Amino acid sequence: MDEQSKMTANAQETPVMEPGYTFGTVTEKISAIVLTRPASNGWFVGFGIAFLMTMMMLYAIGYLFLKGVGIWGVTIPIGWGFAIINFVWWIGIGHAGTLISAILLLLRQSWRNSINRFAEAMTLFAVACAGIFPGIHVGRPWLAYWLFPYPSTMGVWPQFRSPLMWDVFAVSTYATISALFWFIGLVPDMATLRDRATHPAARIIYGMLSLGWRGSARHWHRYETAYLLLAGLATPLVLSVHTVVSFDFAVGIVPGWHTTIFPPYFVAGAIYSGFAMVLMLAIPIRKIYNLEDFITELHLQNAAKVMLATGLIVAYGYGIEAFMGWYSGDRYDAFTLWNRLHGPYAIPYWSLLVCNIFIPQVLWIRKLRSNPVALFFVSLVILVGMWLERFIIVVVSLSRDFLTSSWGMYYPTRWDWMTYVGTIGMFLAAIFLFVRLLPMISIFEMRTLLPEAEVKE
Amino acid sequence: MSAVAKINLDLTAPEVVKKISQRSLVIGGVFAVIAVVLAFIHPDEFYRAYLLGFMCWLGVALGSMAILMIRHLTGGGWGTVIRRILGAAMRTLPLLFALFIPMFFGIHRLYIWAQPLGNIEDKHLREHLVQITQTYLTVNGFIIRAIFYFAVWNVLSFLLSKWSMQTDSPNAPDNSGRFKAVSGPGLILYGFTISFAAIDWIMSLDPSWISTIFGLIILIGEVLSAMCFAVVVERILFDYKPMSEMLKPDFVHDHGKWMLAFIMVWAYFNFSQWLIIWAGNLPAEITFYMRRLNGGWGYIGMILVLFHFVIPFAMLLSRPFKRNIRKLVWVAVLLLFMGYLDLLWIIEPTFSKTLAITVADVVVPIAIGGIWLWYFFRNLASLPLLPAYDTDAHEVLQPAHDAHA
Amino acid sequence: MKRERMYGIMAEFDSAQALIDAAKRTHEAGYNKIDAYSPFPIEGLAEEIGFHRDEVPLVVLIGGIVGGLTGYLMQYWMSAVDYPLNIGGKPYHSWPAFIVITFEMTILFAGISAVFGMLALNGLPMPYHPVFNVPRFSSASKDRFFLIVFSSDPKYDAAGTRSFLQGLQPRSISEVPS
Repeated sequence: MDEQSKMTANAQETPVMEPGYTFGTVTEKISAIVLTRPASNGWFVGFGIAFLMTMMMLYAIGYLFLKGVGIWGVTIPIGWGFAIINFVWWIGIGHAGTLISAILLLLRQSWRNSINRFAEAMTLFAVACAGIFPGIHVGRPWLAYWLFPYPSTMGVWPQFRSPLMWDVFAVSTYATISALFWFIGLVPDMATLRDRATHPAARIIYGMLSLGWRGSARHWHRYETAYLLLAGLATPLVLSVHTVVSFDFAVGIVPGWHTTIFPPYFVAGAIYSGFAMVLMLAIPIRKIYNLEDFITELHLQNAAKVMLATGLIVAYGYGIEAFMGWYSGDRYDAFTLWNRLHGPYAIPYWSLLVCNIFIPQVLWIRKLRSNPVALFFVSLVILVGMWLERFIIVVVSLSRDFLTSSWGMYYPTRWDWMTYVGTIGMFLAAIFLFVRLLPMISIFEMRTLLPEAEVKE
Repeated sequence: MSAVAKINLDLTAPEVVKKISQRSLVIGGVFAVIAVVLAFIHPDEFYRAYLLGFMCWLGVALGSMAILMIRHLTGGGWGTVIRRILGAAMRTLPLLFALFIPMFFGIHRLYIWAQPLGNIEDKHLREHLVQITQTYLTVNGFIIRAIFYFAVWNVLSFLLSKWSMQTDSPNAPDNSGRFKAVSGPGLILYGFTISFAAIDWIMSLDPSWISTIFGLIILIGEVLSAMCFAVVVERILFDYKPMSEMLKPDFVHDHGKWMLAFIMVWAYFNFSQWLIIWAGNLPAEITFYMRRLNGGWGYIGMILVLFHFVIPFAMLLSRPFKRNIRKLVWVAVLLLFMGYLDLLWIIEPTFSKTLAITVADVVVPIAIGGIWLWYFFRNLASLPLLPAYDTDAHEVLQPAHDAHA
Repeated sequence: MKRERMYGIMAEFDSAQALIDAAKRTHEAGYNKIDAYSPFPIEGLAEEIGFHRDEVPLVVLIGGIVGGLTGYLMQYWMSAVDYPLNIGGKPYHSWPAFIVITFEMTILFAGISAVFGMLALNGLPMPYHPVFNVPRFSSASKDRFFLIVFSSDPKYDAAGTRSFLQGLQPRSISEVPS
């Protein structure tokens, strides 16, 4: 597919990178953001707000530890509330980063080279936000380590037939591999910063992080092999993570959860929301840091196309689930469908259909796909829609299951909202720090895109 | 395009294609005669086998159309080099519609919902069917929907073939925009129609069983079969010009990668369905697997796990293996056979609790296949193996040493 | 104490193409202990300096197999041998349920093997290395390409090697103190 990537690049009117750059100018332009450019007032304001939101989250969590999960809206019958919704939402957002860095690498889509670094950073931060929720939801968070199989004096082991246990392994593997993948990608660029930095402390820190990388041909060879293999491993891994998340629901027999389409449909939804988040970050960043030459319209268009495709798979999931609810003749399945459309949560459900299915269809219009402002707002709508989707799945099914005597309603409290909004703050704060401290575009991979990088044997 | 002027390769299909076409017709004819005899002796078994055989070959045709549309959207030499093979398979859709007509006479024999409800012993099933046989699962509905699916497929096939043929002659218009405009919605239509066709034709054999991923399982099986079929045909053509010049190891490598990706997705869908149903263990669902894992059918299930996934997976991990068409073709043949076995394992246990593969299960798929292959190779011979004046043709026509990995 | 010998002689080039050609000619001239440095991976460069055995895939394969076996056997032993517990009427040895964690453990071990195996084979981390003593070498992480002949090479002789490298028309030549 080597020619393929070149051909598609040639065929597009918009290039992967604007012409006129050399190894030196690419290096300078990206590393200058970290090394020489002073932080603007805007950065401090943005980071300050994000930081305050993080503090709010810590306050909410602190109070939770003091009082227990009773301060949340979760209660019987709805024992899963915001914590699970937000967990699934964040994990899903993380998936786009791995998709961009691993799957597009395997497909030799060279346009990924300018967005993979910050997409991977986004993955890590999103997984960190996601990881908070199951931890604080267990009731006695100081015993959360019981989730892991370790030889204890009690002599018992975790319950490996439970999908929640699979989740522990899937998410911790995912976090580990994502972190390794990201770090390994950073090593050669750390060497670049080490050699460019003037401040002694910066030289030492970047020097340590570079592990003494010197760009030897032997090292590059093993490096590329390892990087490619890691991509090959991360690809099924990322699909498995959201599959396992979907098993959390599908393995149970609650109507609206127990359906076999869930694995692919969750994965598609994850990528859908993840690309929306990538765009919501990339569009302002490329503007603020003048990176339009590296993150071009081609990137926006391709991301929009991926959203369109995955959005249609999500729509397929809704459709086939609704059809089967009717076709099966199962009264509970049929009721789930009716309850979604007309029940007490009808407004979120219809909003979800509008956000996830109807509005994103504007992406069929080519002009809109290359309009950053429009894309930004479509992405926002999709992120809201995907959050609502998880809300519907978690809450609606639990609120009205088999017995009318056990029906109930779910009302999130301000602590729920503070924790949720707080994680968004934490995510943004991490992004703010990242763009200032690390090269947000992979410098060495950008060098390979330059025409002067081509060699013939 | 300037590249076009440099063509000094005869792109017409080799003579051997016509020979294979004739031989296929002879085999198909002989087996069709036996099949007709079987249809009179054991009509029930005949129609089951007919459904099985039909789905096998329909899968190759529809899967080819899907891969062709993927190629139009993403581009790439791997797709250009086999596009006429895929196209020839896609253009068998009119024949497949004709071959579907006998199914209309078998509806009452195949589908329990088409029989008088009074004949059904199972009380729960009878109650269940009262409603659905009045709305969705009706004979007329079945026929109308089938005609609709074939109409959609044939329109797509017609458009894609027509524009492709235009690029065989000089001064051809640049059709890549048109191909893209049809392929995006075309893939959506394919996903939608094949899902409902899978429900109508296969899942409704047991109307009390549902699985929302079922359509996708059938879909991935079709796409996999089509890729394997293209690999087999390209191997046959590789002994002759022009394919021997056009087919580069890089393209074969990509075909191998697609096969690997498709079997992984196949395993993923099937495992997901199995795990969710196994864990839920609901009476309405688990019966599907109870039937297929007991009474001898479990052996077929085991064969599928091993030879539809584990062994091809291990072989396709190797890079040199994927780049060698003479080796890759054997995995493709194996997977084509496994595609047949997969459908057999899905369809036949509905009718028999114990492992029973009838004569018809072998004869009828060969009969349909012979006729289908005759038509396929006739299609393949009718057009050059590459649209020489297409904007993408140069990807395949450039000399091999330029295209190193 | 005076330095006994140099670590090697290093030539600097302007382009990836120049480096790959120089590496080829140096290797063909009989130098075996050489290395090339570039700011990004150059396809085929490692082969030109005589590097053919990349053990990373093997390490990853072993890691994956070990991880998969660990994952499955751990679950089997804990759920069916050490503390069998009937949960939901599912068998003690519930293989379908064990597949997921087996898969995750395979990926985890294989991924960790890929990263740490690669680092170990490369001898990293190694904060100090003699090549860093050459001031111009800081451009190796930006836009310059370097070729070194180590003094441990049997064919190495300070003057002869230097004039050989000079013949490759480098941008500059530096001696690398050890």
